[in-house]
Amino acid sequence: MKSRILAVAGVTALAATALAGCAGGAAAGDDSTLTFMFRGGDAEKEAYTAAIEAFEQAHEGVDVKIIMTTADEYATKLKAAITGKQVPDVFYIDPGSVQSFVGSGVIADITDAVESSDAIDLDNVWAYGLDSYRFDGTTQGKGAIYALPKDIGPFSFGYNKTMFEEAGIPLPDPDVPYTWDEFIDVSKQLTTDLDGDGKLDQWGTGLNVTWNLQAFVWSNGGDWLNEDRTKVTVNEPEFAEALQYFADMQNVHGVTPSAGDAQTLDTYQRWMQGQIGFFPVGPWDVPTYQDLDFEWDLIPYPAGSTGKSATWTGTLGIAVSASSAAPDLAAELAMYLSVDRDAQQALVDAGVQIPNLVDMANEWVSSSTLPPANKQEFLDIAEDYGRALPANNTYSAEWYDELFKNIQPVLDGEQTAQEYLDEVQPRMQELLDKANAQAELG
Amino acid sequence: MTTPVSRRSRLHRKEHRAALAFVAAPVIGFLAFIGYPLVFSLYTSFTSWNGLSAPVPNGLDNFVEMMGDRYFWQSLGNTVFYMIGIPIGLVISLLLALALNRRMRGLTFFRTVYYVPVVSSLAAVAILWQWAYNGDFGLVNQVLAIFGIDGPNWLQNASTAKPAIIIMAVWKGIGYSMLLYLAALQSVPSHLYEAASLDGAGPLAKFRYITIPMLSPVTFFLVVTNIIGGAQIFIEINIMTPTGGPEFSTASIVWYIWQKAFNYMQMGYATAMALVLGLMVFIVTAVQFQINRRFQFAID
Repeated sequence: MKSRILAVAGVTALAATALAGCAGGAAAGDDSTLTFMFRGGDAEKEAYTAAIEAFEQAHEGVDVKIIMTTADEYATKLKAAITGKQVPDVFYIDPGSVQSFVGSGVIADITDAVESSDAIDLDNVWAYGLDSYRFDGTTQGKGAIYALPKDIGPFSFGYNKTMFEEAGIPLPDPDVPYTWDEFIDVSKQLTTDLDGDGKLDQWGTGLNVTWNLQAFVWSNGGDWLNEDRTKVTVNEPEFAEALQYFADMQNVHGVTPSAGDAQTLDTYQRWMQGQIGFFPVGPWDVPTYQDLDFEWDLIPYPAGSTGKSATWTGTLGIAVSASSAAPDLAAELAMYLSVDRDAQQALVDAGVQIPNLVDMANEWVSSSTLPPANKQEFLDIAEDYGRALPANNTYSAEWYDELFKNIQPVLDGEQTAQEYLDEVQPRMQELLDKANAQAELG
Repeated sequence: MTTPVSRRSRLHRKEHRAALAFVAAPVIGFLAFIGYPLVFSLYTSFTSWNGLSAPVPNGLDNFVEMMGDRYFWQSLGNTVFYMIGIPIGLVISLLLALALNRRMRGLTFFRTVYYVPVVSSLAAVAILWQWAYNGDFGLVNQVLAIFGIDGPNWLQNASTAKPAIIIMAVWKGIGYSMLLYLAALQSVPSHLYEAASLDGAGPLAKFRYITIPMLSPVTFFLVVTNIIGGAQIFIEINIMTPTGGPEFSTASIVWYIWQKAFNYMQMGYATAMALVLGLMVFIVTAVQFQINRRFQFAID
C-alpha cells in the first residue's frame, strides 16, 4: 500500500515538473520584468548590457531579461515568439516588417508615450530614423510612431587614398560627385597590372549589385516604385540605363575583376587587400577598416543624369509589444535604448553606428580623430540624399528580391538590361500586387 | 489472450489499466507534437495566413497558385536533382566498406576518419565547405590548381552550384552508409562464399551473386531513408547559398517553403507546399516498399 502511494506521488511530481517546464514561460512578464530581444555582435552586446544595467539602476525593482540571437536567426525566432504568444516586451524591428506587425496588432502605438516624455527630444533625433517607423494605416513614413530608431546606417562610398597617391591621380572631391563618365575614366586609370606579370592585379572598383544599384538608379532619376507604391517602374529608361551602366563597368570598360574572378565577397576581400580603388563604406564597416594598411576616405557616389548623388540609408528600430504586461515601462526602455547619451556614446565608440542624436553626431564629426576624415559624408546622407530601400515601405520584400534572382546574365553581359527589366517587371508587379493585397487584409 | 470480457479477471483489468497508463505518455506526445500539428497544417494549407494574425480560409487558391509558381517547380526540380547523390554515395560507401572489411593495420583509424563527418554538426560542415568552395582562395580550387585545372566559382555559378552541394552531402554521409554496409558484410555467412568457390566462382561473380543480394536489406533501408531525408534538404542550401543560389539554382523545396513562410509572410501557401511535398514523399516510399516486396532477398 505504502509503495503504491509513493509510486503515485512520484509519478504526479514528475508529471508536474515536466508540464511546469512548458508553461513556465507564459507566467513571465509581470509588472517589473521586461524582456528585450535583439541581435548583433559582441560590441553591441556589451554596449546594450551596460545600458540596461544603468536603466535597471535608475528604475528600482525593474529587471530586464536580455535575449540575444545571431543575425540570421533573429527573424525566425521573433516570428516563432509571436506565434507562440511570448512576444518580448521590447525588440528590434526592421522597417519592412512595420506594416505587417501593425496590421496584426503585434506592436504598440507609442506616439503618446514618446511625445509626452522628457527623455526624448524628437527634433534632435534623425528625421529619417523616426519617419521610417511611422505608419498611418495606408502609407508608411507618416502617422503614428510604432518604433524608435535603434540606428540609421548611411551607406557611403569610399576610395583608397593610398592607391590614388601612388598612381599620381588627383584625389576625388569630397563635395562634388564624379559624373558617370569621369568615374569610368578614373577607374580605368586605376585598373592596371602593377607587377608586370600579364594579369591585372588592381581594379577601379568591384561593386555588389544588391547594395549599390540603388545609388546609380536614383542618381539617374529612376526608381523601383511610383509615388503611391502601386506600380513597379524598373523597366523605365532611367533605370535600365543605370543597370546597363553598372553591368558595363565589368563587361565593356573592364574596370572590375572579371565575372570569373569575382562575386561580392571576393571584391570585399580584394578591397581589404588594397586591390580596389572604390568600395562602399557603411558605419558598421568603420571599425574593421581601421585596421587596413592603406588610407581611405569617403566621397559622394558618382551621380547620373540628375547630377546629384543618391544612396540608401539602412535603419533598424526598437518596438514595444502590444501585449506587454508593462507597456509604459517598456516604452521607457525603448526610448532609453534609442536616445540615452551614454548608450549612444558606447555604441559609437565601439564603431557600431553613428549617433542617433543630431547634436551628438555633429560633435562626433568635429571631434573624433579616427578615420574616415570625411565623416560629414555620413551626416550628409542622413540629412540630405539618403533614401529608404524600396522594400522597407511595402508589406513584404518578395517583389523586390525578384529583381536580383535572375540578374546574373545581365551582369555577365549575356542579356541587355532593358530586355531583362521588361521580362521581370510583370513578375515584380504581380508580387507587389499580392503584397499590397496582403496589406489590406491586415 | 482473447478471453471473453465478462470472464476477465480483476487482475487482467488492473494490468490492462497499468499498461494503458504507460502507453499514454508516448501516445499523448504523438498526438500533441505530431497529430495536432498535422491536422492544423492540413487546415492552414487551405488558408491565407501571414503567421501573425488568424488564418483566413481561401479554398483551393494556394494549390492553384502552386501549380503556376515557377519557383515551386524549379525548387522541386532542384530537390530531385540532389538525389543523384544517393546512388553515388551508396556506391562509394559500399566500395569503402569492402576495402575496410579485412584485417589491416590502422583499421580503426580509417573507420573513425570516415565516420567523423557524420557526427559533425551539419552547419559547421556547411560553413567549412562554403569556404573550401571559394572561387579564389578555396581549398578545392587550390587542389585543382595542382593538376592545372582552373576551378570555377563553385557556389556562384548556376551550373556548378548544385554539384558542389551534392559533393558535400555525399562526403558527409558516406561514413554512415559505410558503417551499415560493414556490419552487413560481416554478417554474410561465410559458407556461402565457400560454396561458391567450390563451384568455381571468381571474386566478381561472388560479389554479384552473393554479396549484393545479401546486402539488399541494407541498401533498401539506405535508399528509403536517404530519399526521405534528401527530399527535405535545407541546412546546406541555407548556409552555403543564403539567397537560393545563382538564378535560384540551388534552392530546395523545403528552402523555398521556409522562405515563403518566414520571409514573405505566406504561411498558408507554404503549408500547402509542405503538404504536397509530404504526399509526394509518402507515395514514393510506398512505391519503393512495393517494389522491394517483389525483389527482396532474405535467408529465412
